Amino acid sequence: MTDVLVMAWTFLWLSLLCVGGGVGVIPEMHRQVVAHHHWVTSREFVDGYTLAQLTPGPNMLIAAFVGYRAHGVPGALVATVAMFLPTSALAMFVADRWQRWRAHRWAEAIEHALAPVGMGLMAAGVYTLAQSALHDALTVALALGTAAALTLRWLPPMLVIIVAGVAGWLLGA
Amino acid sequence: MFTWTGILSIGGGRAAFFYEALVVRRRWLRTEEFVQDYTLAQLLPGPNVSNLAITLGHRLAGFPGAGWALLAVIVPGLAVLLTLATLYFGHGLAPTAVSLLHGMSAAVVGLLLVTSIRLMRPVLVTARAVVITFGTFAAVGPLRLNTALVLVVSAALSVWLYRPAPRR
Repeated sequence: MTDVLVMAWTFLWLSLLCVGGGVGVIPEMHRQVVAHHHWVTSREFVDGYTLAQLTPGPNMLIAAFVGYRAHGVPGALVATVAMFLPTSALAMFVADRWQRWRAHRWAEAIEHALAPVGMGLMAAGVYTLAQSALHDALTVALALGTAAALTLRWLPPMLVIIVAGVAGWLLGA
Repeated sequence: MFTWTGILSIGGGRAAFFYEALVVRRRWLRTEEFVQDYTLAQLLPGPNVSNLAITLGHRLAGFPGAGWALLAVIVPGLAVLLTLATLYFGHGLAPTAVSLLHGMSAAVVGLLLVTSIRLMRPVLVTARAVVITFGTFAAVGPLRLNTALVLVVSAALSVWLYRPAPRR
């Protein structure tokens, strides 16, 4: 029971760190759920993120995946509520007032100032996932191949990911 | 209100899908309204997709709209992910599924790399933006510092760098 509460609290404060995109919180989430609380292994975390990426809906549903591993379906529900409910309430509150607030000149400054912070966090998230997901020459090649295919717009993202999965299977990733 | 069930059909939950569904297909919103809500969703703490659903839902139908929109983006994905999680942890994966997943994980990294670079290009145009982005990345990524701490420091620093010019 206490562990469930610890988990709810952990996802709650992690959700507050999601500024400018969920990927930004990945390094801290990885640290908490893998190294600190041992709810999932590093490999499970990356696999869970990949499954969340393939699933419709927010990638931060990774919280539900971790919660499920640690405490079954109730764990998944608790993790999801902790991840989404408090920040959603905040978003509703602010959305209701934003039309009035955004006229303020500091609002614009904050808007511009937080963008690069969000970008830095996002880059760190990609870095963390890469460390677990890219463990040999083949996976590095698949990641670079995906990046190239998407840059040149050969295929839509979903298809590229599936193709890479099949390639991984054929080549024994 | 009832039109909100419509968003259930989107299910998806990437900003591009919302744009397509609400601005292009149904014409409920103008592009600039969408961009405004998108920026606000980025700005607020919390997962972007749910924040975006809330800001858009609130604009269209007030608090009930926001509530519906939130449920509509989370519930379908949660159901699918729980099914996948059950399979994943249930029997252990067949070796085939493992290498499939490893290949896909690698591809997701590639996808995130490309997406990040695309998003960064319009932002990293000034020296201060580059410094803030790189500093935040280094602190949270390779240096493994506490994200909350880094966020507070770099956000404060960044707001100061971007502070509005004093009025004359």
